Amino acid sequence: MDERKNSVEERPAIADPSAGGNGGPATIKSAVTDAPAPSRERRKHPRISETPPAPPPAPRLDDYEPIIGKPQLDELRFLARPLRGKSAKMVNSTAMGGGVAEMLNRLIPLLNELEVTTHWDVITGGNDFFEVTKAFHNALHGGEYVLTKEAREIFLMYNEQNRQRIQFSEDLFVMHDPQPAGLIRARERSGGRWIWRCHIDLSNPHPDVWGFLRPMIEEYDAAIFSSPSFARQLATLQYLFYPCIDPLSEKNKELEESYVQKVCDDFGIDRTRPVVTQISRFDRLKDPVGVIQAYKLAKKYVDCQLVLAGGGATDDPEGAVVLQEVMDEAGEDPDVIILNLPPWSALEINALQRASTLIVQKSLKEGFGLTVTEGLWKGKPTIAGAVGGIPTQVIHKLTGVLVHSVEGCAYQMRYLLTHPEFAAQIGKNGREHVKENFLMTTNVKRWLLLFQIMLGMVRKEKPA
Amino acid sequence: MATALMPTPTIRRSGNPFHFNSAAHLLRIEREKATTLGELLAALRNVANESIFQHTFRTLQEHHFIREGFSNDFAHWAFAACNEVGLAERLAAVDIREFTSIQTLRERIVQITEDYLQRNARARDRAAMEPFYFCASDAVVVPTPFVAGNLVEFADALNRVSIHCIHYHFIEARLRLKLNSNDFSVWLDQELDLGPIADRINRIDIYTSTLQDVRRAIIRNLEQGFRQSPQTKIEQMR
Repeated sequence: MDERKNSVEERPAIADPSAGGNGGPATIKSAVTDAPAPSRERRKHPRISETPPAPPPAPRLDDYEPIIGKPQLDELRFLARPLRGKSAKMVNSTAMGGGVAEMLNRLIPLLNELEVTTHWDVITGGNDFFEVTKAFHNALHGGEYVLTKEAREIFLMYNEQNRQRIQFSEDLFVMHDPQPAGLIRARERSGGRWIWRCHIDLSNPHPDVWGFLRPMIEEYDAAIFSSPSFARQLATLQYLFYPCIDPLSEKNKELEESYVQKVCDDFGIDRTRPVVTQISRFDRLKDPVGVIQAYKLAKKYVDCQLVLAGGGATDDPEGAVVLQEVMDEAGEDPDVIILNLPPWSALEINALQRASTLIVQKSLKEGFGLTVTEGLWKGKPTIAGAVGGIPTQVIHKLTGVLVHSVEGCAYQMRYLLTHPEFAAQIGKNGREHVKENFLMTTNVKRWLLLFQIMLGMVRKEKPA
Repeated sequence: MATALMPTPTIRRSGNPFHFNSAAHLLRIEREKATTLGELLAALRNVANESIFQHTFRTLQEHHFIREGFSNDFAHWAFAACNEVGLAERLAAVDIREFTSIQTLRERIVQITEDYLQRNARARDRAAMEPFYFCASDAVVVPTPFVAGNLVEFADALNRVSIHCIHYHFIEARLRLKLNSNDFSVWLDQELDLGPIADRINRIDIYTSTLQDVRRAIIRNLEQGFRQSPQTKIEQMR
């Protein structure tokens, strides 16, 4: 079997003599898409398969004890106790793929293990429905859109179909994102408490789309946002649930040092020298070109390698263009290592983050920025753009450093690489910040609290 | 040495055992937000007590791992988003341990901000780099399995409880007690007659220590009560 055919991207190696390349970048084919995928990646042994591996089994609650400690687990069990016998239903638009499904795949087993019976339904619809909801999604992020009567009718019709199809017999109902928001009409029959969980940034929504959805949202008992800046003025109660990472997921679990070394060896990363890494899609809003410019400025004073690893260059036409821009900016520098990875590269990304001396996320616009959370969780000193949800995670000079420019980013690279004690301290603080605020288990606690509050089970302690 | 004067602690048993509790918090997003210091001042006068609590007492818990440079959200915003270092310093110097009510704490923060804006009028309407979003904390008391009837049990539990439990009894407590003290010190003094140790524990600086440091400092102080005793349980726990 031709090993190269199984690689996600085949490319001549710059540093790998076995590839027989001439040392320069070249345009080559991607095994997955057959689309041109130029790259200067120096992978010696293609290892990433063409197909996603089967997901590992969801962790049990006790698996988290070494991470968060027994008192925290006891607290979850205590908070779950009054909810035994109660049930909840979560509804979203997809069972697989996307951050919401990934989160529900972890959250729901944990709630059920805590004996808070939680069901999960996925809203169904034709292509026309999902075209409308995709357009709504973009418009709610501020994109241009003309809301037609037809689009409104399609949205309402499929919500009505799902209202009739889905059983609503639980005590609590949580609708995720706009797609199932119209199911609130089931409330007339079902009763119960209704919660809308909004995972998207509503700070600058298209007025017509928001005007259409808002009356539905205001019928809910509570709405949840990922950041105060993402929220809107609403008649209903609003709660803050930060996005979270699962410390036991492939992307965040502890790895054997030998595996980290193997990944570095495969990608041609020299761990005897500092490694600065940005993990993100090849997207202009992540400013990968700016990261290379910062690296070049820093490299005048400190030795380091730069790893830019991400995806999006094979399935997104703009991603391929950005990747080319990145490669042009990198030029012939052998210390810039660009990796266009498939979506199922969680373990490799984990290893790259763990092998890094510094993590960078120099975004120009950002949602919450979970790649920052991942870097912080690994105790890495992190340099990040002061945008979106990043300042919530990176408190300047305490849990990381915030930057506003290429020059600022370059300076912080130099400073952190030459002040390892300070770098180690902010890395340590960053990990604690994630442990306290941005782990899956913290979100389980938030859900339990919210369920209790919604069902009127708690005596809230009011500070006076 | 002070410890030489201590009563033998392990033989003293309290008739009122100490029940270790914790608190779980859920954040509400409030309607108020500020894009200038003038707006912050206006909102500070009106927001719910839970919001002042969140941005002072609670934020200290959320950032319990930071040893320096973090005090409350208002100071942090004045520095990071408004670049008003003078105001930030004064707000950061507000020590929540001096306040036994949210209302007096609110008045102090309002007074500092008002004074600053009177002297720096141009700062009032200058746009901040990021808005300040007021949140509020819904708190639920969570009992833990730990109950202490004497000093050994107390130290043992203290070693095992969560950081949130330490925050609840050591920092939040003064709002409940309406005293410049904390649950640990009050119990040690009233139930075990360990006034000097209780006082020393109450003086532990929460602004230059992490909550883990606070835990260690409390236990160090408790150890003094064990010095004359063959009981070495704390040593064994380390």
